[in-house]
Amino acid sequence: MLNDTLLWYTTRGAGAVSLVLLSAVVVLGVLSSLRFEVPSWPRFLTTGLHRNLALTAVVFLALHIVTAVVDPFTHLGWLAAVIPFSSYYRTFWLGLGVIAVELLVAITITSLVRGLVGHSAWRAIHWLAYASWPIAVVHGFGTGTDNLSAWMLAIDVVCIAAVVVSIGARMLMRSPDPLAADRARFRERVSRKVIK
Amino acid sequence: MTLLSLFAGPPAAAGAESFRDHAKRLGHRPRGDHALIDTLDRSGLVGRGGASFPVAVKWRSVAGRDRGSAVVIANGAEGEPLSRKDRTLMALRPHLVIDGALIAAEAVGASRTLLYIGEAHGAATAAITRALSERPAAELARLTLLGAPPSYVAGEESAAVNFVNSGVAAPLAVPPRPFEKGVDGRPTLVQNVESLAHAALIARFGDAWFQSLGRHNAAGTILLTVSGAVAKAGVIEVSSGCSVDEVLALAGGVSGKARAVLLGGYFGGWINADRAGSMILDPSGLRAAGGSLGCGVVSVLDESADPLDVSARIMQHLANESAAQCGPCFFGLRSLSAATTRIAARQADHGDLPQLHRWTAMVKGRGACRHPDGAVAFLQSALTVFEPEFAAAAGTRGRRAS
Repeated sequence: MLNDTLLWYTTRGAGAVSLVLLSAVVVLGVLSSLRFEVPSWPRFLTTGLHRNLALTAVVFLALHIVTAVVDPFTHLGWLAAVIPFSSYYRTFWLGLGVIAVELLVAITITSLVRGLVGHSAWRAIHWLAYASWPIAVVHGFGTGTDNLSAWMLAIDVVCIAAVVVSIGARMLMRSPDPLAADRARFRERVSRKVIK
Repeated sequence: MTLLSLFAGPPAAAGAESFRDHAKRLGHRPRGDHALIDTLDRSGLVGRGGASFPVAVKWRSVAGRDRGSAVVIANGAEGEPLSRKDRTLMALRPHLVIDGALIAAEAVGASRTLLYIGEAHGAATAAITRALSERPAAELARLTLLGAPPSYVAGEESAAVNFVNSGVAAPLAVPPRPFEKGVDGRPTLVQNVESLAHAALIARFGDAWFQSLGRHNAAGTILLTVSGAVAKAGVIEVSSGCSVDEVLALAGGVSGKARAVLLGGYFGGWINADRAGSMILDPSGLRAAGGSLGCGVVSVLDESADPLDVSARIMQHLANESAAQCGPCFFGLRSLSAATTRIAARQADHGDLPQLHRWTAMVKGRGACRHPDGAVAFLQSALTVFEPEFAAAAGTRGRRAS
């Protein structure tokens, strides 16, 4: 019995931790795209944290999924963790979780082999983070055991507020490009002059 | 000029060889096919644009994709300031270059062939334009002449592709590499004009003939641009596998006393005069040894010249040629160039020399293209070969590292 309870608590706890970590990863990703930098917080700190927290989140997600699947009360089965909307149990909400994770797997793998896939493909796939994160949040609201408890709601509010504010900042602020003028000058120099 | 293979035939003073003379001397152009790629493989021909990459490997990787729709770019941009060999070749043997481009197109299955030639290279452009007018209409229909902007990076292969696609000769982040997705998204072969001219001769005379032109284990001939402290600066054709001393003898010998030789151009490196003479010029061999013949530049620095000043000017040029696309390249090369210039002017800050060493490591491998890597490799060779001069000028001699 203790083992079953342990699994169940682990699933819930790892889910909550994953939400916090993934929210932080999204915020850090937005900050790095804004080239955010102050003397006490250099840019490599943003990118380093972004990467390391993302990898940590993957570990907690793995814990979240594995403990949910092996839980003897749910009998989800491994396919339910891989094929979206294939679970007999809470088909829709678990399906959202599967989609969010699979997007994240694509983002993680392409980041690990960025040199192989090329910058533009990597970037296109990385944009899927803006789909993966909200889908994961909705998954938590829909099926989370603790979704109505005050502490979980507090975590939700903080995470959503942080991500919304950072994305809002990204949409309002144009990321400063210190090379814009020099690049324009260079491109002018190497441009086709007369097109007949 | 020695007359070996590319420059066999009428002397340089006769100017561009006409199509009639070319066809009479060398016979009709053979067609390019898959068997030719195997012949090129056996011949040991490597690219002469600077990277010394095996030509057959490049052709095969394009031929293996989407046959029929590929594109060939004959690269005669020649943005390297010390190089003259491509424009000289095009000015004297335009039909050899055109032959090579057409043969390459047939071998890789290309429907379009672009001749990308430095717009500042007047004689070369005139010779190619005239040569095109002499070719049969069926060939002419497959060829397009395109002027390359006068910039160092315009000849970088992704920059050439970008120029054709968007009209801007700035390097692109790779992958995808041109052989995967180049002009109009098609597999594209970007090949230096000298490599193509060699291929045109190998297609006629075979790989054993090409091998026999080289010395020892080196294959074929190479075009070199000799400059600096020599009696007769200019472009010469030599057998692969010959030594720098032999090259300098062909150029009329060193005037004065050599301090160092710049091998490979701005992306190459300095070699101390006492070591340079015995260096063997073999593109494949140098590449295997981790060095590079680059685009065949051999420039002699006289002892009376200031090596720091010459090196600083080259760094300034390379910093100015950054496409300003990547911070580490643009800001890094600017800082490296400024520090080198201060040392050369004997106005170095205390930390300039140690910083040069530190910054070189911070720039390498951090650009979309290899421009910063080439600049840093050049600077590192200067720091090594001119170590005493740098130390004296920076006032750090005898000072303990802290």
